[in-house]
Amino acid sequence: MSFDVLFNQFMSGVARGALLFLVASGLSLTFGVLRVLNFAHGSIYMLGAFITYSIWKFLLIPLVGFYIATILAALVMAGIGIIMEFFLLRRLYARGWPEQLLATYAVLLIITDLVKWGWGGEFLSIPRPKPFTGAIFLFGFPFPSYNFFVIILGLALVVFLWWLVYKTRLGDIIRAAAHDREMVSALGIPIPWLFTWIFVLGALIAGLSGGVAGPYGAIALGMDIEIIVECFAVVVIGGMGSLPGTLLGSFIVGQVYAFGIMYKPELALAFIFMVMAVVLIIRPWGIFGRAER
Amino acid sequence: MDTERKGSWLKRGWWLALLIIASFVAPFLISEFYLAILGEALIMSLLALSFNLLFGYMGQLSFGQAAFYGLGGYTVAMLLTKLHFNFWLSLMAGTGIASFFGLIVGYFCVRLRGIYFAILTLAFGQLLFFIIYKWHDFTGGDDGIQGVFPPELLKSPVAYYYFILIVFIASAFILWRIIHSPFGHTLKAMRENPERTEFLGINIARYQLITFVIAAAFAGLAGALWAPFYRSIAPFALMWVKSGEPVMAAILGGPTTFFGPVLGMFIMTFVHAYVLGFTHFWAVIMGIMILIIIFLLPGGILGFAQEKLKERRARLNSSRTLS
Repeated sequence: MSFDVLFNQFMSGVARGALLFLVASGLSLTFGVLRVLNFAHGSIYMLGAFITYSIWKFLLIPLVGFYIATILAALVMAGIGIIMEFFLLRRLYARGWPEQLLATYAVLLIITDLVKWGWGGEFLSIPRPKPFTGAIFLFGFPFPSYNFFVIILGLALVVFLWWLVYKTRLGDIIRAAAHDREMVSALGIPIPWLFTWIFVLGALIAGLSGGVAGPYGAIALGMDIEIIVECFAVVVIGGMGSLPGTLLGSFIVGQVYAFGIMYKPELALAFIFMVMAVVLIIRPWGIFGRAER
Repeated sequence: MDTERKGSWLKRGWWLALLIIASFVAPFLISEFYLAILGEALIMSLLALSFNLLFGYMGQLSFGQAAFYGLGGYTVAMLLTKLHFNFWLSLMAGTGIASFFGLIVGYFCVRLRGIYFAILTLAFGQLLFFIIYKWHDFTGGDDGIQGVFPPELLKSPVAYYYFILIVFIASAFILWRIIHSPFGHTLKAMRENPERTEFLGINIARYQLITFVIAAAFAGLAGALWAPFYRSIAPFALMWVKSGEPVMAAILGGPTTFFGPVLGMFIMTFVHAYVLGFTHFWAVIMGIMILIIIFLLPGGILGFAQEKLKERRARLNSSRTLS
C-alpha cells in the first residue's frame, strides 16, 4: 500500500469526519442539555439540504448564491426547531424518554414525506461553489478544495462551540444545566428558555450542515437516515453530550469509513457499527462521556 | 376472592373468545384482499408481542427487533429456494437462527439500560441489515429472494391464513403464560426495582438475556411466517424503519397491556392498507397518529382505557363505602 493511497483515504476520512461533526455536534449538544435524543436531527439536516437547493435555484446569484441559500435555509430550520421544541418537546419533558424519542421519530416520518411531497424522489445536486471548485495540492497530491472548505467549517464550529460552552456565561449555564437541571432552575435561570435556544442552535447547525452537504455529495431522500445512524455512532463512541467526545467520535467514524471503503466497500458501514458496539461494551457511556445515574 | 377472580377472568375472556371465533370465520366473510391484510396484521402482531416482552415487561426499548424478524424470514427463504428444504423444518430453523443471533446480540445488549440499550440494539440491527443488504452472492442483496412458496397443503390463501392464525394464537398463549409465570413476575420486579431484585439473589443479566432470546425467537418465527406468505423477502425486513413499527404499535395500543401491541399493529396495518389506496404519504399519517396518541392518549389506547376504568371503579368503590 503506497503512501499516497493511504494519505488520500486519510484526508477523505477527515473531510467526512468534519461533515459528521457538523451534524453530530448539534445532536450531542441537544442531548447533553435537554436529555432528549433527537431522532429527527438527520431530517432537519436533509430538509436543510433540499431548502438550500431550492433557494439556490431560485436566486441564481453568481458567486455568493450558494452561501446565501445555505444561511437562509439554516434560518428556516432554526424556525422549525423553535416549532418543534415549543409545541412538541416542551410538553414531554415530564414524560419518559421513550415518548420523547418516539415524538422525534414521528417528526422524522413527517419530514420524510414532506420532502417526498415537495421535491419528489429525484437526486439533486449543487455544483461546488466558487472559490472551491478546483483542487488543492498537498504533498503533491490533488484534493477537492471543497473538502477543505468542509474541514475548515468543521474546525470553525469546534472553536465556536468550545468558546460558547467553556468561555461564555451561557456556556456556564449549559454545563450547569447538563449537570443538575433543578439546581440551575433554583438559581432563577429560566430552563424552558434555555432549552428552546439550545434546541434551536442544534437545528440551525443541522440545517447549515445540510446546505454544506449539497455540493459534497448528492441531495436525496434517505440522506437523513444515513447521517443520523452515523451520528448515533459518533455520539455513542465519543460520549453523549460531550464536545471533545463528539470531535473524537467524528474523527474515528470518518476514518473507519474511509479505510473501510478501501478495504471492503460493502462493509464500510458495518465496520462503523462494530467499532460502536465495541465501545458500548467496554465503555457504555462513550470515551468522553460520564456514567449515568 | 377466588370466585371473583374467576368471574373477572370470564368477563375478560368473552371478548377474546369472540375475537378468536371471528378470526376463524373471517375467510368466509371478507374478500381475499382483506384476508391477506388480516394475515399480515397477525404476523406483524406477533412481532409486536415479541417486542413488547422486552419493552412492556422487561422495560427496555429495542430498536432492532426487525433484525431477528428478517433473519427468520431470510433463513426460511434461503432454505426453501436454495436447498428445497422441508417447510416445517425451515420454520424451525428460522426461529432457531433468530434465537441464536438473539443470544449473541443480547449478550452485549443486556449490559446496557435505557437509551443506550435502544441505540445498541439499533446498531446491531443495522449491522445485520447491512451485511444482508451488501452480501449479494449469498443473500441476493437488494433484490432479496423471490419465489418462496409454502407446501401444497398451505398454498391457498385461506389455508395459509389459518396456519398463521393457529401459530399466532399458540405463540400468544405461550407468551401470555411466560408473562404470568414466576419468570414473568421476576421480569416485572426487575423493571420496577433492579437493585432490590438483585439483592434477592436474582441474576438480572441472565434473566434479561433469556428474555431477549425468547423475544428474538418469536420475532424470528414471525419473519419465518412472513416470507412464504409474501412469497419473497427483501433486506428492508431487517431495517430500523421496520424495527420502528412494533415500537409504534406498542405505544399506540398500550405497552402496559398484553394485547395493546396487537391492537396497535391491527390499526396500523389496516390504516396502511386503506391509506395506500389513495396516497403514498403513509409516513406522515403514521407520524401524526403517534403524536396524537402521545399527547391525547398517554399510555396507548388500551392502557388509557384501563387507567380510566380503574379510576371509575375506584370512584364507584369509594362512593359505595361512603354511603
